Amino acid sequence: MGIFEGLFNGFSIALQGYNLLFAFLGCLLGTAIGVLPGLGPAATISLLLPVVYKMSSPATSIIFLAGIYYGSMYGGSTTSILLNLPGEAASVVTAIDGYKMALKGRAGAALGIAAIGSFIAGTIGVIGLSIVAPPLAEFALRFGPPEYFALTLVGLLLAVFLSGSSIVKGLIALLIGLLLASVGLDPITGKVRFAGGIIGLQGGFDFVTLAMGVFGIGEILYSLEQNIKGEIVTTKIGKVFPTIKDFIEAKWAIIRGSLIGFFVGILPGGGAVIASLASYAVEKRCSKKPEEFGQGAICGVAGPESANNAASSASFIPLLTLGIPGNASIAMIFAALMIQGVTPGPFLVKEHADVFWGVIASMYIGNLMLLALNLPLVGLWVQLLKVPFGILAPAVVLFTCVGVYSIANDTFNIYALLFFGLLGYFMRKLDFEPGPLPLAFVLAPIIENSLRQSLLMSGGSMAIFFTRPIAATLFAIFIALVIAQGLQSLRQRKRSKVSPEMSTGEV
Amino acid sequence: MYRKKAWRILGLLMVALLVLLIASGCGGKSATQNNTPSQEKNEGAAATSSKYPEKPITIIVPYAAGGSTDALARAIEKVWTKYCPQPVMIVNKPGAGAVVGREFVKTSKPDGYTLMIGYGSGEDLIGPQLQKVPYDPLKDFTPIARMSIHSTIICVPGNSQFKSMKELIDWAKTSNQPVTASVSTATGNVNITMRGIGKVTGINIVPIPHQGGAQAITDLIGGHAIVGGGSGNEVAPHIQAGRLRPLAVDLPERDPAFPDVPTLKEQGINFYSWGSVKGIAAPAGTPKEVVDYLAGVLKKVSEDPEFKESMKNLNQPILYMGPEEYQKFFKEAYDYFGKLIKDLNITLQ
Repeated sequence: MGIFEGLFNGFSIALQGYNLLFAFLGCLLGTAIGVLPGLGPAATISLLLPVVYKMSSPATSIIFLAGIYYGSMYGGSTTSILLNLPGEAASVVTAIDGYKMALKGRAGAALGIAAIGSFIAGTIGVIGLSIVAPPLAEFALRFGPPEYFALTLVGLLLAVFLSGSSIVKGLIALLIGLLLASVGLDPITGKVRFAGGIIGLQGGFDFVTLAMGVFGIGEILYSLEQNIKGEIVTTKIGKVFPTIKDFIEAKWAIIRGSLIGFFVGILPGGGAVIASLASYAVEKRCSKKPEEFGQGAICGVAGPESANNAASSASFIPLLTLGIPGNASIAMIFAALMIQGVTPGPFLVKEHADVFWGVIASMYIGNLMLLALNLPLVGLWVQLLKVPFGILAPAVVLFTCVGVYSIANDTFNIYALLFFGLLGYFMRKLDFEPGPLPLAFVLAPIIENSLRQSLLMSGGSMAIFFTRPIAATLFAIFIALVIAQGLQSLRQRKRSKVSPEMSTGEV
Repeated sequence: MYRKKAWRILGLLMVALLVLLIASGCGGKSATQNNTPSQEKNEGAAATSSKYPEKPITIIVPYAAGGSTDALARAIEKVWTKYCPQPVMIVNKPGAGAVVGREFVKTSKPDGYTLMIGYGSGEDLIGPQLQKVPYDPLKDFTPIARMSIHSTIICVPGNSQFKSMKELIDWAKTSNQPVTASVSTATGNVNITMRGIGKVTGINIVPIPHQGGAQAITDLIGGHAIVGGGSGNEVAPHIQAGRLRPLAVDLPERDPAFPDVPTLKEQGINFYSWGSVKGIAAPAGTPKEVVDYLAGVLKKVSEDPEFKESMKNLNQPILYMGPEEYQKFFKEAYDYFGKLIKDLNITLQ
């Protein structure tokens, strides 16, 4: 079956009333959970699995679950921008400039550009998914431990560059992130590390708890001290929608972000995070006003947000073509398919063409629905900032606690949230950009595992990183980035601080 | 004016959360509605166990949703209400290397309303013999029934030169090269099996642990290790697609879900393991009538055609065992793993 025939067939399935309804319900629910702090797509899908098992057609159930998944990616940016509460790793980068925009009264513009960027990225992602899925999936398989190590190293470097004003402070935040990630089970030996006999610590900290604490709760604690700051947010709302000028400024950021997101997002594991980081770095490099980054640059929202949405479409590629689930949410969609007797993998296109093309077609429709759903909502969300701080802050704390409790149905995460909130508060007091911390936390297990696995593979020889072409290329990029950054710092020092410009080098 | 709007938005948020909560309860609710006809069917059984069960029964899955144990739990849930007047609720309590869920069940009331599925996995049979855990797998739980065993299917990548275990072992012996083996985790059954093979054949197997089966299989498919293994539902789609080639199963007898794959013993390798046993248990001290009642329901579940169909889709064999038999089996498997750990000199360092 050719692509067009397949897509035509797919649309005839996706446009059936029942499937259309569930695609809409999925998108709606996805947006809702994306907005609610703490409740991620993985938790929601697991709650809904019993309902899905009772559905008659596997195509309908996966259309529904996929809708929740990519819908939550749309909604996830909302809390990052409005409340500095990133619900998942990929929206940490969005929070950095998005929240600054909100503080400057440009929340509407940030939300609007995020929705439009997500739509364009989602569509590019789905087009890519329908055209080039199989060969790209083959390519992704060539990423073994050495390649992941090199890629994650580049990701960590990019995370340091996020720190804006001070590289030293960025490095410190990064190291704290790495340290926190080492609590729990040693991924290679299975031995418990740094748990001090506390059961909750044995499995390590949870990412969502950490991000919510360091960003959201830390921000609220900090705001408690500064009445004036709170008022700025609540009085100035500004224009609700992004202007044509905003859009023109961000258009290339959206396109670049989409492409980066699509290609990096195919990799199972940290794909979406590294994609959003890479996009931010590229935008800062391409921008004519790099000093705006970290202070509320619209491209710093548009690029990474597009990247993480394109990555969420791309993450379906390993599932649908190889039967490999790339993250927790996709793993649950995988389980839903298996129990209904549909095996994801290379035979899916042949044996269950209706599922394969039906899902892809529904994603085209779903992206349209999400745009129609989210753009009008922007106006409504912006009103949220008018809620007085005294009401908004306790409500946010409440929802965050409910959210982190639901992660493992365990109270431990609530205490952890408090701890991370205090950490975030002190970081803000001491003028640290918190971004590198959660990003290092996410990347740490990948980097530790892949390094140790690589060395097990090679019998201890470092040569494995330089003899494999993909790994060697990534290392070359890493070294080039370090050198570029070093030269730039030197040049700046010579110019004796004319402008504290920072660059990320070439990617 | 603004205040009013603000309250409206807050209200909206509340409603959204409510909708979610209701949606999450939906599965349970629809099940409750279904059970009126079966209630009559079960009156006899209910009478023997006094009033139990009077309310829904919670089954704790100590792993994340989407894994093989979770899938088994959902397959049971699907047909449960045909045989029991009260529905089951599946609750995932992952975390701390599956310790949190076990700790929770251990400290629950032994009244038959909180059960655990996955009893007999590596965290019960292997982990506690390697490091301290806050539960005693033998003393803190009452076994109810064994439902399945997830064997380890030993595989090589589809384009590998090896067609049998013998070819692999001969190559390792003549070339004197280390054999990298992609395994799920250090405390998992795949790792023990691989080390066992190395021990009895004298070849140098280097296990490369991952964070779970899915990652280990992905690396094996990509050809980043020479050999590897995983449970049936992890490897089956890839065997079908020709990306993996099964060489052996690690059980003493062939896995009913993979009747064509020979055991290690059939290929002259004197080693077997008990795989990952998937049973259901209650906290220690649960009354015998309750245990027997639940075991009866689970026996009927294991014979249900719809359940059989689900399990076939999941590539999990149905290997039911009642409470007494299962307790005996569990103890034997526990001791056997203890011996393997000692013989193979496995530590977490």
